[in-house]
Amino acid sequence: MNWKRIAGLDNLSEEYAYGQDPVHGYVSARKIADKWTSTTCGYCSVGCGMLIGTRDGKAVAVRGDQAHPVNKGKLCPKGLSEHYTLQAKSRALKPLLKTNGKFEPISWDCALSTMIDKFRGVQAKYGAGALGVISTGQLVTEEFYTLGKLVQLGFGTSNFDGNTTLCMASAVAGYKRSFGSDGPPGSYADLETADVILLIGANVADNHPILCGRLERNNEAILIVADPRVTKTAMLADIFLPVKPRSDIALLNGIAHILIRDGLINREYIDAHTTGFAELSTFLEKFTPEHVAQVTSLGVETIERVAMLYGRAKAATIGWTMGVNHSTQGAETVSAINNLALLTGQIGRAGASPFSITGQCNAMGTRESGFTSGLPGYRKFESAEDREELATIWNLDVARIPTKRGLAYPDIIEAAVAKKVRALWIIATNPVVSYPNYDVLIQAFENLEFLVVQDGFHPTPTTELANLVLPAAVWGEKEGTYTNSERRVSKVNKAVEPPGEARSDFDIFLAIAEKLGVNDEIFPGWTSTHDAFEEWRKVSAGRLCDYSAMTWEQIEREGGMQWGGERLYTDGQFETPDGRAKLFRVECDPFPEQPGGAFPLILNTGRTVEHWHTRTKTGEVAILDSMAPKAWLEMNPRDAKKLGLKMHDNVSVVSRRSRVDAIELRLTEIVAPGQVFMPFHFAETNVNRATQSAFDPISREPNYKQCAVRIERTAEARG
Amino acid sequence: MELPLLERARLGDPIARYTDPDFTPPELTSLVPCTVPGAGEQYRFHFDMTKCIGCRCCEVACNEQNGNPADLRWRRVGEIEGGTYPFTQRHYLSMGCNHCVDAACLKGCPVEAYTKDALTGLVLHSADACIGCQYCTWNCPYGVPQYNPERGVVGKCDMCHNRLADGDEPACVNACPEEAIQIEIVNIADWVLNHSAANAPGLPPAHETISTTRITLPGKLGPELEKADHTRVRPEHPHWPLVVMLTLTQLSVGAFFGLAAFGTNGPIAAIAALLVAGLALGASTLHLGRPIYAYRAIKMWRRSWLSREVLLFTLFAGSASAFAAATLFNLPRFAAVPTVLLGLAGVTASAFIYLVPARPAWNNWYTLADFHLTGLVLGPAFLRALGVNLPVWIIAAFATLQLLNQLLKLLHLVRSEEFELKASARLLSQDLKTVLMARLALLVVGGIVLPLAGYAIPALLLALAGELTGRYLFFVSVVPRNMALPWLTQGGTAGKAAA
Repeated sequence: MNWKRIAGLDNLSEEYAYGQDPVHGYVSARKIADKWTSTTCGYCSVGCGMLIGTRDGKAVAVRGDQAHPVNKGKLCPKGLSEHYTLQAKSRALKPLLKTNGKFEPISWDCALSTMIDKFRGVQAKYGAGALGVISTGQLVTEEFYTLGKLVQLGFGTSNFDGNTTLCMASAVAGYKRSFGSDGPPGSYADLETADVILLIGANVADNHPILCGRLERNNEAILIVADPRVTKTAMLADIFLPVKPRSDIALLNGIAHILIRDGLINREYIDAHTTGFAELSTFLEKFTPEHVAQVTSLGVETIERVAMLYGRAKAATIGWTMGVNHSTQGAETVSAINNLALLTGQIGRAGASPFSITGQCNAMGTRESGFTSGLPGYRKFESAEDREELATIWNLDVARIPTKRGLAYPDIIEAAVAKKVRALWIIATNPVVSYPNYDVLIQAFENLEFLVVQDGFHPTPTTELANLVLPAAVWGEKEGTYTNSERRVSKVNKAVEPPGEARSDFDIFLAIAEKLGVNDEIFPGWTSTHDAFEEWRKVSAGRLCDYSAMTWEQIEREGGMQWGGERLYTDGQFETPDGRAKLFRVECDPFPEQPGGAFPLILNTGRTVEHWHTRTKTGEVAILDSMAPKAWLEMNPRDAKKLGLKMHDNVSVVSRRSRVDAIELRLTEIVAPGQVFMPFHFAETNVNRATQSAFDPISREPNYKQCAVRIERTAEARG
Repeated sequence: MELPLLERARLGDPIARYTDPDFTPPELTSLVPCTVPGAGEQYRFHFDMTKCIGCRCCEVACNEQNGNPADLRWRRVGEIEGGTYPFTQRHYLSMGCNHCVDAACLKGCPVEAYTKDALTGLVLHSADACIGCQYCTWNCPYGVPQYNPERGVVGKCDMCHNRLADGDEPACVNACPEEAIQIEIVNIADWVLNHSAANAPGLPPAHETISTTRITLPGKLGPELEKADHTRVRPEHPHWPLVVMLTLTQLSVGAFFGLAAFGTNGPIAAIAALLVAGLALGASTLHLGRPIYAYRAIKMWRRSWLSREVLLFTLFAGSASAFAAATLFNLPRFAAVPTVLLGLAGVTASAFIYLVPARPAWNNWYTLADFHLTGLVLGPAFLRALGVNLPVWIIAAFATLQLLNQLLKLLHLVRSEEFELKASARLLSQDLKTVLMARLALLVVGGIVLPLAGYAIPALLLALAGELTGRYLFFVSVVPRNMALPWLTQGGTAGKAAA
């Protein structure tokens, strides 16, 4: 501090001066940009259009894009401060190789040679499948498409999956089961035109706040929210359904039971467009309102009323997120949701859709183009026809294309524990914080011969464990497209140069392909993500996710374009072999780890509006960190009384796996007696030390939402 | 007067035009008025609690607009909560400045940094006029003005009036995805008569300053809604320069009282007491964010107790200097009377600074008694330590009164039903218990036992330590009125100051 400031002559009036931004008006002079670059937000899958303001090549501000149809100028608190992520102190700047336990900077050339030597070595020794790759939902679609080819065709391993399996795999699997293909059928506009909206396990007010404006504008709709916790979203509801954890299937089946009982189904639609009605009808007989009331803890009258509202709706939309997906029955729950839409014909019309609200900014892009759980363009590994088609486009021998999916994310980790996967390449994700049952993941990492982590940030809890860290460009530093929850492909643009020696993921992939000697074969003549996009257009042509009519310029001009139009299945024709959607009989099983004995409480995990995933970005944004600097544990006061705990006590969450210490206790009626809630963002108090290794057998998604724990005072336990 | 907004709406929004040349003009936004307030009117915020989802966009947008540090927020979102699961109620309060009709910040400001804008009725603050005394931060019942230690001045929400003048929405209004914040024009006279719509759970009563913010509340609001942060009571900032300044000015005034009452043994005591006063006044400038402009503090003596305090202590110091000089000429002791009167008036002014409704634990006569009794204990003890011959029972008697005063104040806090007073009592009986015990013990030993036992210098040292500790407790144990804040953090600098 200078003496003028100490004396008070200077009050930093220059730093705090205001000025006139030619576009955005009167504002702090430090936020005035000399250039605005339009792009799409890099956090969640709502896909808000925004502008990055730069001055002298440095990002100084962001603004919502008023012309963008998704958000019409609005952004959430994370979006409003997103420019700070570009200048975070923890950006990865140089390739780092760990030698004798210490990271040493090395050249890119050396880094990639080392990586390939190690990977090739492991593959030569243990087989091609000994290399696992775990990707993300954060790259641009063009990069996902490139990476998929690089991994499957270049490295020749199919043990390739994304962190999207921790997020929306259940929605993907559920859609595939019911409709024959992935792809959310609806649009955000449905939230404005529906007259009944049922949100299940979706706390949009915290997680997708920009969608709430649409709920707000739709004054006509009855909003029903089913959640075990009184979330911010529950407070918006006309009818709040405080269901017991994992009783949503019973609720959905109970509604279907009443619809069939009272003739509130669309028989014509069922007969024309579905299969399995008779079996479903018989199966649902046992889901009487009385039975469902018992399972869900809702009143019979409430269940009847919700069923009536849904059955009589002119247009009904069901939205869901992680409350449904994070479950050992996630895919099946999605099927039960789809059942309701199919029974009533509430699909393929304005305001009517079973709508999965996705997580990451480009989870959809990797679902479509990623080559992980399916072949690019929603093609199936199992289909000879699909493989032939791709081989022709790619000008490759069809034998090069795998005939079945490799290991899914949790199975890659289990395989590493079993020493079957011996080298791992992790791209833009932080499993040390986000993967369930921390100890298993650490065991997997310890068994690896070589771990490469490619990320925009270092150190993160995951990069710290790597043998090699590759510094990558992030949102704001590269060009391509993101696809949002409503299938809208939006343009992502580069506003600033990546810091230090960081390179775009695309450049890294191409450089690796060159070293592998496969560049000419799989990326012929490619120099930019635009080349990948052009090929992807061809690959997706004629598929459900058809990009062939889109150009980057048009996408940019129109504020994004939805593949498949505003909604899918308008003609009732589905992607199944017979063109009919399938109705599924879904049992409501108890969740795997029931509370009792030494672990009497159910632990639920989730998010808070200030943070994104594992905070590698938002933890570096000062205002977001200041608003929510640490985790907390929500407990009902009635439970606290029994345990002799007080508000603000320093507590530990203890499960059969491990414990999480030093969490501040919040006594609140937000959670039901018998349940506790904790946000999952914080590496310092990582709730995934407590969560379990239980995965959906269909989607392989982890069961994050319920496990048995006890709560005790940290000081007591730790002496 | 028409604002450019009307014209903008006709021509199409320039931001929209920037992003899309074919953009059709949007409908006229209703979130800000199209005209400036007329005679007898002013701008105000309307906050719709039924729409707010607690996303905190407004807070981030406000900081971006004003370039403020992350932990200092001119707009804050608080939580209120009540009910029993599953009939839980949780709601949010988003608040910038309420641009009160009878603004407490403005009335207390010693330098006229605050003005109520004639055209818009907004309460505006000038960072250039401000000297960083932070008196406004004690006066505002909503905790709106925030001290920025980096700048040495206070700042607060000005409703982005420069944006409004251009027809642009204030940053918070513009950012809110739910359109929960609006700008309206209110007729001031009507609002003074009925401003019940400014009240909400989690807010101090609106009538004290006549907050102009209109709040739309949800229809079925339970009576038991509480601030989510009501259990998170943390000690406030100690303001060390003020602890020193108050205790030492009081000691000095008490010493001149002793001299006037019992005479002196030469010039030493008077000169020593004068030096103490000088030290105290010097220390006080260290409290300011901009010490060099301390002299400005006299400006608003017609309105501000802080100005009056500065003025009276300046006169006291002048008079004391004259008296100290005169002691060389053996003047009668009652020549000290003007000095004593000015000093007592100064101490009274000091006390009145703290008699503010926004800080309930200060806002009582115990404060006035506390300040005077500190002087009446320490002053004579000081003289006695310097060898002035005055009866020790005087010290013991005032110390006993001070003890009584402290105990009565504690009783007042403990027995109160008011949240802030109960919370102060909780702080004193829990977090600050040891300090409180030490303070009372020092008073008894230094103020009563040692003087009576004839240990003049130890008595002074312990009594001084006791009163300094007491003044420290005075600052840290006050629980200010405030809006509800989030459960997790205090928001803004409030949390920071206590950290």
